[in-house]
Amino acid sequence: MELGGSGWIVAVNLIIWTGLFLYLLRLGKRLREMEKES
Amino acid sequence: MKNPLAWLLWLWISAVIVGAFFYAPLAQGFIGESSRILFFHVPMAWVSFVAFIAAGVWSLLYLYRGRQPRHDRAAAAAVELGLLFGVLATVTGSLWARIMWNAYWNWDPRQTSIVVALLFYAAYLALRSAVEDDNTRARLSAAYAVLGLAVAPFLFFIMPRIMFSLHPQSVINAQGKVEVESRMVQVLLAGSAGFTALFFWVHNLRCRIQALSDRKSAL
Repeated sequence: MELGGSGWIVAVNLIIWTGLFLYLLRLGKRLREMEKES
Repeated sequence: MKNPLAWLLWLWISAVIVGAFFYAPLAQGFIGESSRILFFHVPMAWVSFVAFIAAGVWSLLYLYRGRQPRHDRAAAAAVELGLLFGVLATVTGSLWARIMWNAYWNWDPRQTSIVVALLFYAAYLALRSAVEDDNTRARLSAAYAVLGLAVAPFLFFIMPRIMFSLHPQSVINAQGKVEVESRMVQVLLAGSAGFTALFFWVHNLRCRIQALSDRKSAL
């Protein structure tokens, strides 16, 4: 994959999006736990 | 898989990212691959507008449906996220302008109107932080956000159309027609739908965090 080419940019975008997505999923799970506790 | 809708959104936005680079063709008259950034810039600007309108609607609900704190929280969260998406739309637009116009910023009506919109809603947050009493803060900021129901459409859609602008025509142009290549329209619409869903998801999380925080400080 050429550095700076379209494939490279798509890969970086997908990694960032997946990281954000997993963070949001984890945040939702943590919030559900806190709502049960309170 | 506990959240099928969330995973569907992951798949959807992933498809938009891939589609923006490998499915949609390059736009005519654009330098190099610069048109690819529009598949992210346009949905971000759209979500910013949706967020500001949603803030106005939640503020109306607050004022006329029993002054419920959840409506105030929802309006404030929508403005915060609208500002975030608005800043991202401005940054992506500036990167594109650097390639096409050889300058990050040149006070084009489109750029000017988005800055005015961002300042208008930044003032909303300043207003909220300036009032200590919860009820007064909620009432004043709701009235301000309702004013935004007139300001946001004017700044996002009317002002850029009544002044000469270098900015490319919107997907739906001034004549109400779509003159963009169909695969580009598909990716733009899919991106706008995906980013709108992402906005409502993050908005829901933000409201729940604030509700927990309010409950904790009330104890």
